[in-house]
Amino acid sequence: MKVTIKNWHAIAYWRWDTGKEDEEDGEEGDVCGICRVAFEACCPACKVPGDDCPLIYGECTHVFHMHCLLKWIGTAASNSQCPMDRRTWGKLSPRAAASYGYCQSLTCL
Amino acid sequence: MATSALRTQVSVKYAESLEKLLAADKEKRLNPGLLNYSQALTLASEYLRPYDIKDRAAMMRPRTAFNINDVRTAFAMVHFSHQLPALTEIFLEDMRKSFHLIEYEINAYMTRYEINGCRRLRETKNLELFRMLVSRLHDWFKAWHPPTECASPDSPSQTHTDVIPPSLSSFFSGTYTLSFQTRLFAALPPSFARGFKALASWCLAPEDYPPMVSASGAPIKIDAVWTEFEKLGLIERYESVISSVAYEHIERRIEETCPNNWAVPMLPEIREWMTQKVVPWMLKIFTHGVTSRHDTQSLLTGIGARFDFHVNKVLCDLRIKEIFNIIVDYPDSLGALQDLKETLQRVDQRGDLVKFLRKENNKRLLHPGADTQTILQQYVSTIKCLRIVDPPGVLLYKVANPIRQYLRERPDTIRCIVGSLVGDDESGDSLVDDDEPIQPLQQPESEDYGDLEWNPEPIDAGPEFKTNKPSDVISTLVSIYDSKDLFVKELQVLLAQRLLAIDDNDTARVDKERRNIEILKIRFGDAALQVCAVMLKDMTDSKRTDDHIQGQTPSVVHPTVISHHFWPTLDQSDIVMPGQFQQMQEDYAKQFSVFKPDKKLKWLPHLGTVHLELELQDRTLDVDVPPLEAAFIELFSQKDTWSLEELIKAVGNVDRSAAVKALSTWTNMGVIKEQNENTFVLLEQAEDGAEMREMAPIQAAPSLPPVQTVQQQEAEQMRVHWKFIEGMLTNLGSLSLDRIQTMLRFSPNYDKTAEQLGYFLEAARREGLLVVQNGMWRLNK
Repeated sequence: MKVTIKNWHAIAYWRWDTGKEDEEDGEEGDVCGICRVAFEACCPACKVPGDDCPLIYGECTHVFHMHCLLKWIGTAASNSQCPMDRRTWGKLSPRAAASYGYCQSLTCL
Repeated sequence: MATSALRTQVSVKYAESLEKLLAADKEKRLNPGLLNYSQALTLASEYLRPYDIKDRAAMMRPRTAFNINDVRTAFAMVHFSHQLPALTEIFLEDMRKSFHLIEYEINAYMTRYEINGCRRLRETKNLELFRMLVSRLHDWFKAWHPPTECASPDSPSQTHTDVIPPSLSSFFSGTYTLSFQTRLFAALPPSFARGFKALASWCLAPEDYPPMVSASGAPIKIDAVWTEFEKLGLIERYESVISSVAYEHIERRIEETCPNNWAVPMLPEIREWMTQKVVPWMLKIFTHGVTSRHDTQSLLTGIGARFDFHVNKVLCDLRIKEIFNIIVDYPDSLGALQDLKETLQRVDQRGDLVKFLRKENNKRLLHPGADTQTILQQYVSTIKCLRIVDPPGVLLYKVANPIRQYLRERPDTIRCIVGSLVGDDESGDSLVDDDEPIQPLQQPESEDYGDLEWNPEPIDAGPEFKTNKPSDVISTLVSIYDSKDLFVKELQVLLAQRLLAIDDNDTARVDKERRNIEILKIRFGDAALQVCAVMLKDMTDSKRTDDHIQGQTPSVVHPTVISHHFWPTLDQSDIVMPGQFQQMQEDYAKQFSVFKPDKKLKWLPHLGTVHLELELQDRTLDVDVPPLEAAFIELFSQKDTWSLEELIKAVGNVDRSAAVKALSTWTNMGVIKEQNENTFVLLEQAEDGAEMREMAPIQAAPSLPPVQTVQQQEAEQMRVHWKFIEGMLTNLGSLSLDRIQTMLRFSPNYDKTAEQLGYFLEAARREGLLVVQNGMWRLNK
């Protein structure tokens, strides 16, 4: 017997590629350290998740909703530091985060 | 010992008597032919004495036996000697003595009448008999009536006309009439009223009776009889009987024309019938003896108003009895509603309407046998109907409350409402009219003190009642529940189910859903439906992404990629798609990551549908199946024989029942068969009867995507909370409800009230998990 798939209407959901493996990612996924909302949901200011409310990857390995972090950096009290570890915030481009593999930067530090 | 005062009195009396005698003397001189006062009195009373009209000789007496001039003189004398009361007394006494003659005659007629009974055939005859009795009575009345001439002594006493009071005649005849009537009424047997009624009824609707003809065959004019009735004072006496005839006719008319006739208002028609039939009849009966136009008018308005009231009342009663069915028939029953509205304004039956409709609703609607959809439909109709009958909505408020309470208890109410909101394809008639303007949900507003159009609440409004502007149906339905969140949640579930079922290229259906959601946004507000908007956006984004990826590397996989935080919880599954399926998934995921470098795809492999072509040795099958089925058949393409356990293991971990169900799909199609227990084998060549099966439409159970319903989600959540409660009680022994509530508030997503928690704990107690003592809860060990 030969089975030919003519058409497959599949259902999937997307996740941000934070570089972590699926196992450590867990089912629930990580939350933004600022707004405590899941990465795949959107920051409090946004209404639509995904490309309209992207993540921002820090050199310090911390990931936030971009809007959340920019807002934080915008406040005087922030001193342009990562809110998690008070290191000076440096942005890692998503491209870099993806191509180098975020886990690598994790293990580096 | 006579005092001087007494003495004066006596002398005055004496003078008076003397004067009287002198006056009598003067009379004598005036009428020398006449003897004296006592003779005059005798003559006059003799003249007036009632006689038996059956006696011919006596009948002629007034004309023959008396010299009319003598009689007149005698009357004048009696009058001038102020003895008229005495004469009247004698006359009435005479009448009393002779009245047995009339009684005898009445009895004779009535006995014949009663023997005939009420049989229909005899009715005409009876009526005739009755009519004869009445005219006979009238004859008696006329015969005994004091002749008018007796009181008008004209020619011989011309000189005294000025002193004879003109009221003499009327005084006499008045007294006579009164006394005659009194005696007559006492003499009439109860069956007389019946006869009277029959006659009145005949007169109102002669067509109901056989034509009335006299013995000679000529039709009888019955109208005259009413004049006789009037003269005898019977109309007044039997007015209630006449009214009852009219009432019965009204009732019968309504009974005949109105029940189940709801399309047009019947009230105007019945009023028309009243003017054509009842009013002329009323005129005939009541207007005898009333001369002035003004009197007639006032008389008729009084009686007419009573009849009109009766029309209203009877019709109102009828419509109230029919109200449930009228509501069922809405909008084909607008006429009946109009009737009800108008009659309720005349008749105070609003309480009855509410009571009856509530009873009827309890009996016919609010029971487990009725569909929620049906109840909602009826509720919506009730709203519309009662808004017509009573625009302020007091009736509605009273009737609707039990329905709303009942609906609140039904588990699937929200789903039904939401289903009809989005225009579910299955349910034929939608709750909402298409032409109803879409408007935002109305929130209960605080009272506007500056409202110039303000009116007080209707008098029968309860304290809870709030006048509100007529709101649209959806607002009313949504307001059954305290918050609209429940609706939004249910809406998400429904939308998720429908969206996931949509095949990739079917943009029309997505557009339809989008239109629905846009409409609902107007009602529920943008914010509440934001989640739904995201779901729809996912649909279009998936399409766009897919188009792009297909452009790069064509694939048969067309996934819908969802933002799972914005979708209702989907059932989890651990299926691993075997063989080529897995390969395709991986390829596609890779392409996706290339297109969206910062995202990755996670498959929900148990959802969706697969369109397959199976090439077997002797046949080719073209089927649409769920993924699990596809996975199994893929496995069979690797090896012909599989046991159930092997299959389950090969696709990861699936529910045994789900696996059996998937396999039975294929067995039904004749592709595999169960050889031994739990061992399945592929049928490369169709077995006998396989064609038969093929004939049957191949339909792979297109079950709705397993989206968790709101209840399931809540149960899921409660399970989490239960873990907390269990932990708390294990550590702390026993706790009060308030403590548990306070502590639970710290846990994420906890939004229950203390009351809801109480219900939950109570349920757990019934399950035997908890015990409660003095308000302290602890685990049941």
